[in-house]
Amino acid sequence: MRPEIREYNFDWMLWTVMDTGYKAALGTEKEFRRVLGYAPYFSGIIGSIANQGEPGVTFLKLAAKYYENIVKVHERGKKLALTTFCFSPAILYAMDAVPVTLEVLTAFAGLTWKRGAFDYLDYSVERGFTETACSSQRGSLGAYMAGLGSEIDFIAIDTAGICDTNANAFSFASAYLDKPFYQLNFPAGLTDERTKHYHRDDYKALIAFLEEQTGNKLDEDKLREVLKELNRQDEMLGELEEMQRLVPNPLPGTFNLFIYAGRFMFAGWPEYTELLKSMVKVVRQNVEDGVTGISSGREKCRALFFYIDHFSLNLRMWQWLDLHGISHIGGILSRFYSDNVPYTRGREEEAYRIETGDLDMMIDSIAEMNARMPMVRSIRGPYDAPYMWLDDALTLGKLYSADCMIYNGTPGCRNTWSNVKLIAKDLENNGFPTHIMYADAFDDRVESWEATSERLDEFFKLRRLV
Amino acid sequence: MMNIFMDAASHVKNPSVLSAEEKGCKIVGYTCSFMPGEIFHAAGMLPYRIRGIDTQSMEIGDAYYGPYICTFPKCILQLAGEGKFAFLDGLVITPGCDAMRRLDECWRKAGEDYQGIVPGFFYYFDVPHKIENHGMIWFQEEIQRLIAGVEAHFNVHISEDSLKESIRIYNKGRRLLQELEEMRAVENLPISGTQAFAVAVTGTVMERTEYNRLLENAIDELREKKNIVNDKKRLMVVGSVSDDISLIQLIEDCEAVVVAENLCFGVRHETDEVSETGDPVKALAERYLTDSVCPRMFGKYKQRLSILREKIETAKVDGVILQNIRFCDLHGSENGLFERDLEASGTPCLRLEREYGPLIETGRIKMRIDAFLERIS
Repeated sequence: MRPEIREYNFDWMLWTVMDTGYKAALGTEKEFRRVLGYAPYFSGIIGSIANQGEPGVTFLKLAAKYYENIVKVHERGKKLALTTFCFSPAILYAMDAVPVTLEVLTAFAGLTWKRGAFDYLDYSVERGFTETACSSQRGSLGAYMAGLGSEIDFIAIDTAGICDTNANAFSFASAYLDKPFYQLNFPAGLTDERTKHYHRDDYKALIAFLEEQTGNKLDEDKLREVLKELNRQDEMLGELEEMQRLVPNPLPGTFNLFIYAGRFMFAGWPEYTELLKSMVKVVRQNVEDGVTGISSGREKCRALFFYIDHFSLNLRMWQWLDLHGISHIGGILSRFYSDNVPYTRGREEEAYRIETGDLDMMIDSIAEMNARMPMVRSIRGPYDAPYMWLDDALTLGKLYSADCMIYNGTPGCRNTWSNVKLIAKDLENNGFPTHIMYADAFDDRVESWEATSERLDEFFKLRRLV
Repeated sequence: MMNIFMDAASHVKNPSVLSAEEKGCKIVGYTCSFMPGEIFHAAGMLPYRIRGIDTQSMEIGDAYYGPYICTFPKCILQLAGEGKFAFLDGLVITPGCDAMRRLDECWRKAGEDYQGIVPGFFYYFDVPHKIENHGMIWFQEEIQRLIAGVEAHFNVHISEDSLKESIRIYNKGRRLLQELEEMRAVENLPISGTQAFAVAVTGTVMERTEYNRLLENAIDELREKKNIVNDKKRLMVVGSVSDDISLIQLIEDCEAVVVAENLCFGVRHETDEVSETGDPVKALAERYLTDSVCPRMFGKYKQRLSILREKIETAKVDGVILQNIRFCDLHGSENGLFERDLEASGTPCLRLEREYGPLIETGRIKMRIDAFLERIS
């Protein structure tokens, strides 16, 4: 690793960028533009987020708080839990632990710095991790392996049985950093009683592990408080999802990012409820005005990203879509399957419901919610089984009037690359033009954004979508 | 005697398969060492570990799998598409890793294009990734469901007594393999690594009673035999799945002898016996799940390191080859940890990335091994 990279901690740098960006955005427009002029390196990302108005500024505020929590975790007497994006952090907040979500940090590095997480990606390989492993963990993991972040206290994940490369990255981290490790493990089924029983038993064992690691007994009242907040958030997500069905789509594309990043980082925080409220306000206004969230005001095409997004510098993917009049109508990352969203209507058995009556009900609720996090729900079983990847993509595609489907992932995704050709063929057979991106969502060196966008351009033009 | 094992280990359709076909014995393929072969043995069938050797091209494997996938399942799919597994009456697919569990869909979908390649009994055996109480209960239930599935499909009955008898027969094989392992630990070896590996691989594709008989005879012969190797460097091979004896042969063509392996087709799954008392399903579950010898059992690195250390000491290993098939991150990254920890305690290691299938990279691999041997000489 280059010596200059070792000068500053990775999590600290992300905190200062978000915090400074947020504080700058509190000023007048003129002050804000002036401040950005002094920070040309970060003006792209801060400007792109802050340009979304109140939701953007609130998002910066929350992101700054998230990173500050990580940086000051031990100073505040708390424990730092290394975890993954598809593990709901709600239980960690209920137990007064602080999550550090590897994929979120890697994505932020890609969005924020021209050099992305390249140095950290390479460092983890230098230290023995495979270069073919998923870049989403490999990036920020490299920083923590290099000691460029707050010290991790323990590891809790939920990808065994879902995504081997993900689970393996944390298993590797546990051995490399010599930290305690707990993995939730998921069978291939989702809704049968045997599987539900397994979810519950596994989650109870997770709670026992967390109690041991944090030294805190699970506080029933605190868990209830967090779950009630989550319920409020689910209600607003349900409304946003409902409005996203409209043609033209009233949601600005980046709102999808705010939705899922928020869910991965701040689930259960009252401030996330405030962020969602501000988003609902903007979208309601767009609905009232009958306009799309696209800047040009004209929606030419609606694209469903049936896997993940591309986290290139300064939100370039979202900007490109916006520029071409393409509505981003969400993807696997932004769908959580509570019982109040349009895509679970009439399919309630596949949804979760938050019940806050007694502790057992709450544990059941949170276990079932976690079992429906992105990836955990839909790529656990055969891709063509009920409630799984194909079923989800087709249901969402029809419900949200998608004109096409886009796959993007990382070359490290063994699970989806094993059957993406199969699902793409099925989607095409069902009338959805489907494009497979060969980029790496977290590492522009694999395929530059310029090359990726050329291929997207070719797809949209040749399939006469724009 | 060794020729029988070499022959069985070198071909997909080996004499054991031909013999089972002649007798009208059902043959059921499986993909992972977490699948208890005793179940099929107790049903009077031949459990056959699916392999990818003999692959000549990859157009079928590549047509269904994406590009960033290990070549092992691709080779299997290639052979399946070519009809090379037409002798199978059934197939059990297990989530050994993501690429292997997706063989379920790829094989099924290939079956839409290549008629008749999907066996009538096509079963997904959901092995958990943990051994804690609820994981063990889940696994026991999976074994019970598999037994019920086999009974229903093939119209057979797997009694408790027959299962116990199969356990006894498999345990005998395990003890014999351990005897063979002990012979590999001595200074003057009576058997090469290639031969020993062929013996281990054969155990996954041959009827077990016959296998035990042949192995017993082979051990008797070896006891009488003078050493065939003496002053070569003693190596251990670790990492991604390998059933290809030519890989071991390639290593031994350099100035080395392979005295131990920790490979999926090797003896690493044969160290512990299944309890012969009590409920046989429970006994099978405990034996097959508890041994966290594969990195699919996340968070158990220290156990696996200790297994390696013990083998290194017992077999007096001079160096370890940590190989992984490209895109096999489970073994690849664990190899990085092994390298760190074994080198720190004085055991030289060579990390080697390769492709599964025909040894198209022989020259490169040989050069790396030669350089490694030079380093440890």
